[in-house]
Amino acid sequence: MFSAVYFESEVRDHPRTRAILERYRELPHIECERFGQIFNRKAQNFRMQKQYPALILARKHGRKVLPAPAGYGFEAGQSHYFSHMLNCIYDCRYCFLQGMYRSAHCVLFVNFEDFADSILQSIAAGSGTQVFYSGYDCDSLALEPVSNFAEFFVPFFAQHPRAVLELRTKSTQISGLLQMAPAPNCIVAMSFTTEACAKRWERDVPSIEKRLKALARLQEAGWPVAIRFEPLLPEADQKAYASLFDLIFRRLDAGRVHSTSTGLFRMPADYFRNTLKLYPDEPLFARETRTENGIVSLEQPNREAWLAELEEMLFRHIDPASYYRCAN
Amino acid sequence: MNGEVNLVVAHPLEAKELIEWFELGEVEPRGKYRCYENKKGIALVISGMGVRNAVNAVDWLHGRQSPGFRAWLNVGIAGHPSAAVGQGLLINRIEHRRSGDCFWPPIPDLGLQGCGLVTVDEPETTYEQDAAFDMEAAGFFAQAAGLTTTDLVYVFKIVSDNRENPVDEVNLQRVPELLRNLESAIRKLVDHLRERSAAIADWYGMPAEFESLLRRHRFSATRKAALAQYCRRFCALGMQGRLSEIARVRFRDAASLMTAMRLELASASESGKTSRQGAE
Repeated sequence: MFSAVYFESEVRDHPRTRAILERYRELPHIECERFGQIFNRKAQNFRMQKQYPALILARKHGRKVLPAPAGYGFEAGQSHYFSHMLNCIYDCRYCFLQGMYRSAHCVLFVNFEDFADSILQSIAAGSGTQVFYSGYDCDSLALEPVSNFAEFFVPFFAQHPRAVLELRTKSTQISGLLQMAPAPNCIVAMSFTTEACAKRWERDVPSIEKRLKALARLQEAGWPVAIRFEPLLPEADQKAYASLFDLIFRRLDAGRVHSTSTGLFRMPADYFRNTLKLYPDEPLFARETRTENGIVSLEQPNREAWLAELEEMLFRHIDPASYYRCAN
Repeated sequence: MNGEVNLVVAHPLEAKELIEWFELGEVEPRGKYRCYENKKGIALVISGMGVRNAVNAVDWLHGRQSPGFRAWLNVGIAGHPSAAVGQGLLINRIEHRRSGDCFWPPIPDLGLQGCGLVTVDEPETTYEQDAAFDMEAAGFFAQAAGLTTTDLVYVFKIVSDNRENPVDEVNLQRVPELLRNLESAIRKLVDHLRERSAAIADWYGMPAEFESLLRRHRFSATRKAALAQYCRRFCALGMQGRLSEIARVRFRDAASLMTAMRLELASASESGKTSRQGAE
């Protein structure tokens, strides 16, 4: 999976660093002062690096919990996000991370305890339910066997019922969760695109069938699960979405799905520019686009009607009250 | 498709085997640096010792080549406190002792032993750090990385001296033999770099129609950039054939050409019927 492990001098003796270096003892271990020396260098080629990404172990300094962008996530109170990782082991062509970062290496911040302290401060400073999204800059579970992220944070959130954790993922790494008692305030949100889109644009991602199987097992075990149809791509026709909805809600107890959301393909304009430079040969980015308020989306005639039709199909399976459109 | 690779060595004895393996012929007339090349996209320059020479040689070689996507590889001997003489090392961290600058070459999965390296101004005799020591890599990497992506710049060193076999006892005449013993590793590295540079050329090369359209009309810098983007979009959408047809049509001026291309792209995008999609 990785070609090498870099680690900051500062975390050399951290127990998580030691465990990960031991796990990857056959790979080169390279010490650095700050992860940015490698991750933020100029003139890197994200596309090429995706073929041999490295893992970088670092300490997260500064603000660890940030307000979630407006329109991101479900309506359940104040929303925040935190990123114990930067980047993802999967390679989805539509992903904004490839336009956001210069490097395809994965950064794992090992100081989970500092994140937990910041989350506690946010809970204390807010009122009512506080939602914390962990899969904004990475996939929450894809690296679980290495990071043990959920193993640390799920029990932590279980102790703080006023806080809700969303684990956003396309991964089937659920064995750790299945060994724990389900936490009602920890939601596993699985992302899906249609079969054709997944085959075309999602590299190294578990198949829809495998993801669905994992989600069904979690639901059976009592975990709150959620569905994220993101990004919606006009490439797929309504029939493809109808099949996807049928497939998913035949396997899951729709009445017990925490929430379902959709989100159109969209990307901040500067990330889109970077992505286009990386993949000038990608048909998805060669389509006509529109830019509104600094966000690029694909030009699509009758977009609103198309979306409304999709939602109508979706509401045959779920309660509209558990649905939202993700705007960011 | 074979990509192009530039090899940089400090000393003629480091070049000897490479010249033979890759059937490189000397470029005549000789310029500031001795330079060799073949017709398969491999070039070699002998820089002379030291950071400054490495920088200048990279710059010189780049200056005499046509624009393109090339990988760069520095091959040479190095000291190491404990590694055995003859050990090959793929360098994964370069520290320039004088400036303190650090560079991070990529780490491909080629099964080659990785190692950090310190570039020094004088031959290292104390081997205080657990790293390899050379006199060129920092200059080479800094300069080459400025000309291409850092993911196409590699450094491979062969241990020539260590604490047991100090640098002042190195017999330079043995250098070709040291390289010879690592022929398969060096060939593997060069092949890998050729694949990588070919991939980059494939991803980012412009279709031939772009140059031909540029020659036919006058374009401002902005229009030239837009033309490049349109040409790429035609290719990405599987419309190379249509691009070729457009390139043969006589337009009144650049503006009319651009309008025609824009309308065609919009129409293709709206219908969503590209040949790539159709193939799926």
